[in-house]
Amino acid sequence: MTAHEDSVLLDLVRGSLDHCVKCTICETHCPYSNVTPLFPGPKYVGPQAERFRSGEEVSPDASVDLCSSCGICTQVCPQGVHIAEINTRAKARLAESEGIPLRNQLIARPDVLGMLGTPVAPLANRTLSNRPLRALAHRILGIHRDAALPRFAGRTFRSWAKRHTPPAQATKEVVLFHGCGTNYYEPELGEKVVAILEHNGFRVTIPKQGCCGLPLQSNGIFPAARSYARRLARRLAPHARRGVPIVGPPTSCTLMLKREAREIIGLDEDPDVRVVSEHTYDICEFLLELHERGELRTDFQPVEETVAYHAPCQQQGHNIGKPALDLFALVPGLRTVELQARCCGIAGTYGLKVERRQISLDVGADLFSQIRDAEPTVVACDAETCRWHIEQETGVTNLHPIDVLHRAYGLDRR
Amino acid sequence: MRVDVVVVGAGTAGLVAAVRAAQSGRKVLVLAKGAGATHLAPLTIDVLGYAPERVESPARELAPFIAAHPEHPYARTGEAAIAEALDWFRGVMGDAYPYTGGLERNMLLPSAIGAPRPSALVPVTMAEGDLRRDEPMCLVGLRPLKDFHAALAADNITRLGVQARAVELDLDVDRADVNALGLARAFDRPEVRALVAAQLALRLRAGERVGFPAVLGLRHAPTVWRELQERLGRPVFEIPTVPPSVPGLRVDAILLGALRAAGGRIIIGSEVVGAAPDADGVTVRARAAGRDVEHRADWLVLATGGFAEGSITLGSDWRARETVLDLPLAHVPAPGEPRFAPGLFDEHPMSRVGVAVDDGLRPVGPDGRRVHERVLVAGASIGGAVPWKEHSGEGISVTTGHHAAGQLAGVAPSVGVAA
Amino acid sequence: MTTLQTEVLVVGGGATGAGIAWDAALRGYDVILVDRADLAEGTSGRFHGLLHSGGRYVVKDPVAARECIAENEIVRRVAAGTVEDTGGLFVTTPDDDPEYADRFLDGCRETGVPAEEIDVAQALRDEPRLNPGIRRAIRVPDASIDVWQLVWALANGAAARGARILPYHRVVALRREGDAVTGADLRDERTGEDVRIEAGFTINASGAWAHQIAEMAGIEGVSVVPGKGIMIAMNHRLVNTVVNRCTMPADGDILVPIRTVSVIGTTDIRSAHPDDLPVTQEEVDAMLDDGDRLVPGLRESRALRVWAGVRPLFDDKKAGEGGSTRDVSRGTALLDHLERDGVHRFITITGGKLTTYRLMAEEAVDAMVEQLGHDRPCTTSTTPLPGSEDGEHMTPGARLRRRERHLLTEQLICECELIEKSTLEETMRARGTHNLDDIRRNLRLGMGPCQGGFCIPRAVGILHAMHRMDVEEANRSLRTFLEERWKGLWPILHGDQLRQARLDDWIFQGLLDVEHLPGDARRDVAAAVHTGVRPGSAEDGDLQPTPAPGSAHDSTAGPS
Repeated sequence: MTAHEDSVLLDLVRGSLDHCVKCTICETHCPYSNVTPLFPGPKYVGPQAERFRSGEEVSPDASVDLCSSCGICTQVCPQGVHIAEINTRAKARLAESEGIPLRNQLIARPDVLGMLGTPVAPLANRTLSNRPLRALAHRILGIHRDAALPRFAGRTFRSWAKRHTPPAQATKEVVLFHGCGTNYYEPELGEKVVAILEHNGFRVTIPKQGCCGLPLQSNGIFPAARSYARRLARRLAPHARRGVPIVGPPTSCTLMLKREAREIIGLDEDPDVRVVSEHTYDICEFLLELHERGELRTDFQPVEETVAYHAPCQQQGHNIGKPALDLFALVPGLRTVELQARCCGIAGTYGLKVERRQISLDVGADLFSQIRDAEPTVVACDAETCRWHIEQETGVTNLHPIDVLHRAYGLDRR
Repeated sequence: MRVDVVVVGAGTAGLVAAVRAAQSGRKVLVLAKGAGATHLAPLTIDVLGYAPERVESPARELAPFIAAHPEHPYARTGEAAIAEALDWFRGVMGDAYPYTGGLERNMLLPSAIGAPRPSALVPVTMAEGDLRRDEPMCLVGLRPLKDFHAALAADNITRLGVQARAVELDLDVDRADVNALGLARAFDRPEVRALVAAQLALRLRAGERVGFPAVLGLRHAPTVWRELQERLGRPVFEIPTVPPSVPGLRVDAILLGALRAAGGRIIIGSEVVGAAPDADGVTVRARAAGRDVEHRADWLVLATGGFAEGSITLGSDWRARETVLDLPLAHVPAPGEPRFAPGLFDEHPMSRVGVAVDDGLRPVGPDGRRVHERVLVAGASIGGAVPWKEHSGEGISVTTGHHAAGQLAGVAPSVGVAA
Repeated sequence: MTTLQTEVLVVGGGATGAGIAWDAALRGYDVILVDRADLAEGTSGRFHGLLHSGGRYVVKDPVAARECIAENEIVRRVAAGTVEDTGGLFVTTPDDDPEYADRFLDGCRETGVPAEEIDVAQALRDEPRLNPGIRRAIRVPDASIDVWQLVWALANGAAARGARILPYHRVVALRREGDAVTGADLRDERTGEDVRIEAGFTINASGAWAHQIAEMAGIEGVSVVPGKGIMIAMNHRLVNTVVNRCTMPADGDILVPIRTVSVIGTTDIRSAHPDDLPVTQEEVDAMLDDGDRLVPGLRESRALRVWAGVRPLFDDKKAGEGGSTRDVSRGTALLDHLERDGVHRFITITGGKLTTYRLMAEEAVDAMVEQLGHDRPCTTSTTPLPGSEDGEHMTPGARLRRRERHLLTEQLICECELIEKSTLEETMRARGTHNLDDIRRNLRLGMGPCQGGFCIPRAVGILHAMHRMDVEEANRSLRTFLEERWKGLWPILHGDQLRQARLDDWIFQGLLDVEHLPGDARRDVAAAVHTGVRPGSAEDGDLQPTPAPGSAHDSTAGPS
């Protein structure tokens, strides 16, 4: 990275360690250090250990790798220490000195996996659910045999988008950033987002995009993460510059664009990244803002169900509250239970790893038992890896809040 | 968002104000840059402990204190507001975490190193440690907890006139370094309580009350405390330790639950960086990922704390600023004048710095005139007090938070026990 | 009264004195080293941690430069475990004359200081926090050195060869028999006991206090000018290389990364007495500005504490009264009192700088050996100190790496500086001390951002539980520690450090309520004896608030 990029990072991130007054609030809220003694906690691996890291020598502390980068520590820190960002950078330095296992290289590239698996989806899906093959992957690659892996849809959202004609009467424009999950594994989710936006009078532009680089970043593979993020920003920037909002269902990926690409991998000075970050919205955030301006159609039909809503840690990282709850409140008959757990334990790719699986389950245990107690019809959650994980561990159907709204609009019957 | 009240700050003052307003039917949004100082404080409601001599009875000594300190937050709210606020607070804590005491007589509870702390209203889990009683004490040191040294505390308590001794218990936890929170979670488990009780029962003497560091359960306090009392057959009490404060976390959870139940909203991690009050309300600008967000409210309650919270800052240019609204600050030493005294325990010129308010808790300028109509200030942001010396911190927070909510149009007067 | 006998009595346990003890012990002498307080509590313990390459002196004092580079190379070897190989940079800031760098390079060539001019872009890549406006950058082999590790390695090395190390033994009189010094009378500050040492030879290595000791031998005219300098420790390593301003020596022109902090220093003001070291707000503000010139934004970074040290500048009666002491000689002054004053078996060594401690020790012991008529050569340039045998330098991440191995098994007592419970207990036992400041010097206990806020109560509890302190002493220790640490805090108390201090007020006064602990309320002499601090002594300099800008520093003034 350039000296300037590093200097920006240093000022923003490392310098923030000065704000730490050792109040222990971050440790109190860290879901991971609370369940495993192997992870000394965010205060320790963040502002405290950072004083011992000089950047020159080989990374001294391997225990930082147990940080899941869920970001809760930064959210709760009242002093403004960018703890999760410090941790993630330290993980990247560790990865640099220790090398990156093949497994991490693989699971950090959902776009590559998606491209490879889609044409052979039935075979790929059978392989991924084949117990002996999973056991092999467990032993050789280190992907836990029981971890929830998605199913390839066999088609991409983008191929649908190419064939889709926007309605003629649309007066406003919005750009859809769909993310890899929607594209390769849940194209129907993307279709529903488009349907809702069109229902509200938008023409949805779906430009060439790509992966945001978040899983690369969480696995410490910063150079590749930067290329991905820059490329995505380059493609979306012209629209942002026209003032068109960029909205998307994958809440982790929109957060990557909003903040993490700037603060963690140091692209804060990249003008494309900057303008895209300022124009990016989580889809529920966008819809709620429409509502606050009186521009959201509220022709919802009753949905007599109980939805338990879990705000994933990355959704909390947007610092906008829980717009999904306010949207659910507009749907007649819908009973909403706000789950009170911070993290489901999957943390993107963290819970897939053999050596992390048990920690991941221990972190999610509280959430899972709350779900069981609530006895909901469905669980709503804005991040796809969380949905797959929670569904597998609880057996309760997991949907994106968009799925619920889509049904409430009656768009599933048109 | 568009709400009735934006409360900035999620500490005791902010949450008290928010809950009272929300329970009155106001639409409330709490914005905080992080978790509140409830995580750090013992949450004994200390109204007035030293003035500067030890205060026996706040009921008797508040009036002369207020008369002698016309710039103090209590002078702004008036003495009656303190009792009202305490009643309200006790009501909100309810049976989930009962408080006991009042303004008639301060209890004297032992600190973690055995100094006497005067407190007016305390959780029942702590009350049996009152040093005004002379029953002997047995303090239990839990070996993995490095922040509680039972022998040292016991020695000091004995020198205060109450016989105290210490025993050490080994608790098997999954790590060598455990803090109060980790232990509290352990105590939430019945098998741990049973083990502790069994180990202790043999070692206790007749007539002894038993003191623990404040780890007697997080989710299941005060059940844990009651159960231990039953099993041990004698009074049990907790002693608050350095952060993380388990008692503080309990109160935090109850206040947040009450806020949610009353329809209030809270966003932790959204720092308010500016507010523009006008005749009809306040536009609040808050940090969020990617870009700032604007909220609109009829009222803004500023409960952001003081220097300790970084909400009032002293720059390297030695100028003090209130960082949200740039409100005028009172008690700031003039440039060139000393800010601190040479002795740590002396009174420092900087100690009382904070926002000056009138009786309606609106911020006022040096001329005493209201700076904003729609902005109220609560908690440690208000100047004129030295809470850590007076032992008045939570008293000020609860009273001014409660009082601030009461100032908002449409908020029902407090009538004792709230729902 | 205890009487001890020895061949060599060394007065002064700073780097020079400890170096002499090691040197003499290696040469087979029986040695006793004494200091009125803990080792390195004086000048040595208060400097910025720079092991000079000599670059600073190449233009103005080439002799000193030559000495420095020679010693730099030796100390890096024999004391490797106390040295961090940070490297150094001399940079031309926008306020400096770029041509000075040429004189600098010439000077380096002439004196043998390895210097390499590098691209400014490269310097900024290496050190991104550097002032982007620098115009030239030159690499030199500066390093940082942990002086407490050094001094204790010297002392322990000497002790392994039979030397006796006696901190907290104050010399109250030197013994004379005719025209020879035959030892000293001392008081054990901790027990109040009197101790007599009969010594074959006495070496006065008491640095800035040298004239006081010399006077006890009836020797006049040993004039040492106390040159006060203040330093500020910044909370983290803003740079990983020593950064010097490439200009004639000035205030605040060095930033040294040492362990987990970076130190900006220093000033140079003549002081009346080595124990009278006030720090004024003006000096602090000026130092922060100077630091900002090297690393923009330093002013707003978190400062941990400020302290004053005192250089022993031997006055050859050439310097005038008051003002800058930079022109007074920094060279070593070795006073052979037989030649100079007709007094046998007594020499004084003063002046100098930490970088040349070994050379000073060699010269002193050589002088002693010559006077005694022995033939015992010095071997300190080739004998590694305990802990440095493998030649490995200190690394910033060492404690963090070590902690990784004990994550599950060891409790951290000082979290900021990663000090484990077993290490703390071991040190307490090994030093036989219950003085928290002694332990602080050995381990860096309480020297991190929280400045003892969390760890000192834990340490006090441990000492009490180990029965090394009764409850009254424990209470006093806690209060004294807080009061002493306040002295180094209040002048830099703004921003983040004020926030920390206010949180600490809540913890110590609100939550623990140390002020209302039962028993004594104020420090007394007895307390001072136990904690090793003399009332009114120069513990970190007597820091006073100034009533008005620009006013002087009356150390007897009370709070204004």
